[in-house]
Amino acid sequence: MEDLSVVVSILYQFGTNGAFLLLCALGLIVILGMMNIINLAHGELMMMGAYTASLAYQAGFPFPIAVVISFFVVGVFGAVLERLVVRRFYGRELGALVVTWGISLLLSQGTFLVLGPFLPSIPIPGGAIDVGQYSLSVYWLILIAVSAGAVLGLAWLYNRTEFGLHARATMQNAEMARALGVNTDRVYMLTFSLGAGLAGFSGALLAPTASIMPFMGQQFVAPAFITVVVGGASNVIAGAVGSSVLLSLVRTPVGFYLGAFLGLVALLLAALVIIRLMPNGVSAYFQRWSDRRSRPTV
Amino acid sequence: MKRLFRLATGPEDIGRSPGFWGAFAVLILYLFASPLWLGEFEAYNISFYLLNLPLALGLCLLWGYCGVLSFGQVAYFGIAGYVYGIIAGNLVGTGWGPIAGELGGLAACVVVSAVFGYFVFYARVQAWIVPILTLVLTLLLETFLGQTAGYQWRVGNVQLGGYNGMTGIPSFQVGNLVFYGYAFYYFVLVAVVLCYFACRMVVNSHFGKVMLAIREDPLRAELLGYDIRARQLGVFVLASVLAGISGLFYVQWGNYITPSQVGLVSAALPVIWVAVGGRTSLLAVAISTYALNWVNYSLSSAGNQYALVIIGALLVIVMLFFPRGIVVMLAEAGFRGSLARLRAALRLG
Amino acid sequence: MNGAGTYLATRDLAKRFGGIVATEQVSLDIAEGELRCIIGPNGAGKSTLFALLCGIHRPDSGRIFIKEQDVTSLPSFRRVRLGVGLTFQTNRAFHDLNVRQNLEVPMGATGSATHSRSARSEDRYRYALSVFGLDGLRETPARELPHHQLQWLEIAMVLSGGPDILLLDEPTAGMSPEETTQTARVLQHLNDDGLTIVVVEHDIAFVRQVAQRVTVLHQGSVFAEGSIDEITAHDDVRRIYLGQA
Repeated sequence: MEDLSVVVSILYQFGTNGAFLLLCALGLIVILGMMNIINLAHGELMMMGAYTASLAYQAGFPFPIAVVISFFVVGVFGAVLERLVVRRFYGRELGALVVTWGISLLLSQGTFLVLGPFLPSIPIPGGAIDVGQYSLSVYWLILIAVSAGAVLGLAWLYNRTEFGLHARATMQNAEMARALGVNTDRVYMLTFSLGAGLAGFSGALLAPTASIMPFMGQQFVAPAFITVVVGGASNVIAGAVGSSVLLSLVRTPVGFYLGAFLGLVALLLAALVIIRLMPNGVSAYFQRWSDRRSRPTV
Repeated sequence: MKRLFRLATGPEDIGRSPGFWGAFAVLILYLFASPLWLGEFEAYNISFYLLNLPLALGLCLLWGYCGVLSFGQVAYFGIAGYVYGIIAGNLVGTGWGPIAGELGGLAACVVVSAVFGYFVFYARVQAWIVPILTLVLTLLLETFLGQTAGYQWRVGNVQLGGYNGMTGIPSFQVGNLVFYGYAFYYFVLVAVVLCYFACRMVVNSHFGKVMLAIREDPLRAELLGYDIRARQLGVFVLASVLAGISGLFYVQWGNYITPSQVGLVSAALPVIWVAVGGRTSLLAVAISTYALNWVNYSLSSAGNQYALVIIGALLVIVMLFFPRGIVVMLAEAGFRGSLARLRAALRLG
Repeated sequence: MNGAGTYLATRDLAKRFGGIVATEQVSLDIAEGELRCIIGPNGAGKSTLFALLCGIHRPDSGRIFIKEQDVTSLPSFRRVRLGVGLTFQTNRAFHDLNVRQNLEVPMGATGSATHSRSARSEDRYRYALSVFGLDGLRETPARELPHHQLQWLEIAMVLSGGPDILLLDEPTAGMSPEETTQTARVLQHLNDDGLTIVVVEHDIAFVRQVAQRVTVLHQGSVFAEGSIDEITAHDDVRRIYLGQA
């Protein structure tokens, strides 16, 4: 029994770290994977999600409803952002990086000026369950399940729906997709809006575990981007899953024994080593593996 | 000598006419003469605007000429500053401490950027990954330096100081000559002018042409026989040394440094300077860096809670409406305008 | 390796993409001073072979030799420095740089920049500049050149590095018949001067003008090899390739 509870506790630690990384990266992988835009305002979109959730929660909405509201509010904001700014940067990767960085600075400092240095935080919903001498937070268990569900949902959307098909077609060859009658402008806007909405969703979900401040987005930027960088761009969803598992394996023990900061340093070092070994990211490995499986036996 | 001159005046930057060089010489003379009528305090301020130029020129080389964007140049600024503070602070009174500090600071920049760059460039990562990882590196550095508040964080008799930063960093000194006030002004001025010419020589050399080729099409450049990984790494290290030079000047100027110098705001500034000036021209970047530092310095006395908003808005506006940079676009418009005027005059005549 | 003076050789080169076989057991021997055309219908594996030769892709199996040296695991730039000049099917001159800058970039076989070309490659380079009409266009941005001249610029650019072997992927794609003939004449002249040239080509009219020896690729393998007359007389080749051309 004692051994079992240790195992459960270790799994729980890995699970929370992996879920955190996945949630951070969720919106980013949609925008990067489907549009090839690197959105440096990602952390601030998550901050907006947390703010919306906090305001909605103060207004009396139950927390789950507040999370859904965050998804839609930040999603609409994303659509506006795409219309006004981002669409001029398709095909200009570095330009998009710089302009979204500008947006991120505007959003965080703007929030600070308008809403002040912090908002009331949201209490962590759910209690704790005891396994042996360890106590596990129910909320984090829910987050693990939600992040897994979100990834499955994304994979379904991407692979099984008409929207996913159009998005993939647009990304591979926008001109051809247009010639086939796909409204690529709409696809771009919806995709960016979906990515932004997911960032808001993640921000809202993580809000109870963080202090709600204008610059809270910064703490998500490093984990989110490292997850995506390590995942690689050839299959973003599988890549993000693979890299969050891999990185959680690195971060959990280091963070546990040496503290949160060195856990973050370990993430960066792991990222550097992994990209050196697998230049196209974890997802290229998956790709090769699945290719090999589909190869006819000669 | 002739060859050096040709390199300095080569075609890879705006401003090549005799008229331009005349104006340039006048400007330099003006800067050299200005302590005659400037107070020591004003000279001190101008040294601050000038000392940021190497940092900006390095990013200009890296981003504008070589196509490698870094959001973390300030990491090297900070590394050089802190290392200088540690070494010079421990060798106070020896006379050669500051020189050892400068060498140590730049060596640290070379080592860190070479190791980091090796992993990044030899992995042949996609272009967008470099700015992300450099940003992560500098934010981690800020976090690390921020938590060095306790007494245990000291090297010899120098405290790292956490978020309050490192104070009492010695000014630059050679023997008994302490570079302070006017002396520091001349020190920075000479170094900055040398840095500018050095960069201009680099971009006009054959190495510079290869940089342009790598920016335009890395694969084609490699298939013309170049090891693009080594070239990118080389430019990255060079840019980090330039950033380090600015960092050294900064700590010698203010005698302190805080972790916020490697934080998000500071990291954004060089990108703004380069984007506003126009990343494909060293001179334009030098002009915009000087001008923006002057504006920023004047603004920040009025309270800097709007600084980030202004920086962010400026970035968005420049990227949307002046994608090639304000100074470069103005210079081209001016050039075209004067050509048109010349033509009109000839027709009238 | 067999046969002295073999400049470029492959042995059993194979490459698959996912489940698709792109090339399979391709073995070639190209002798010094040869002008070889590699032809084949779409999907025959020409582009893959080209990418394998210049090192953009690594083969799954098989070996590549340049001047008798095994280069299979060498990165692209090292192969180029052995004296190979490459041009791409889609033009990859540096469009935002001017003609002069384009011509100044290449690095030669000696591992140093252009100014150390041998007298012979200097002559070839000067010759190409003048027949391609690039001499007077030094300060023209490459993107303002007409299509055929961009293609020629890329050839001149590669010659500026002083190579011993030219590897050209469809150099006449998109050219008019006159421009194609002009290109053929220039390549012929360079070859007469001793330059080894390998052309991957789709345009059979061009191949007829230049080729001494032709290799036909089909479904990723070498299907036939011989003089242009032998190849055009070959019934199966007519069926798979010329019939469709």
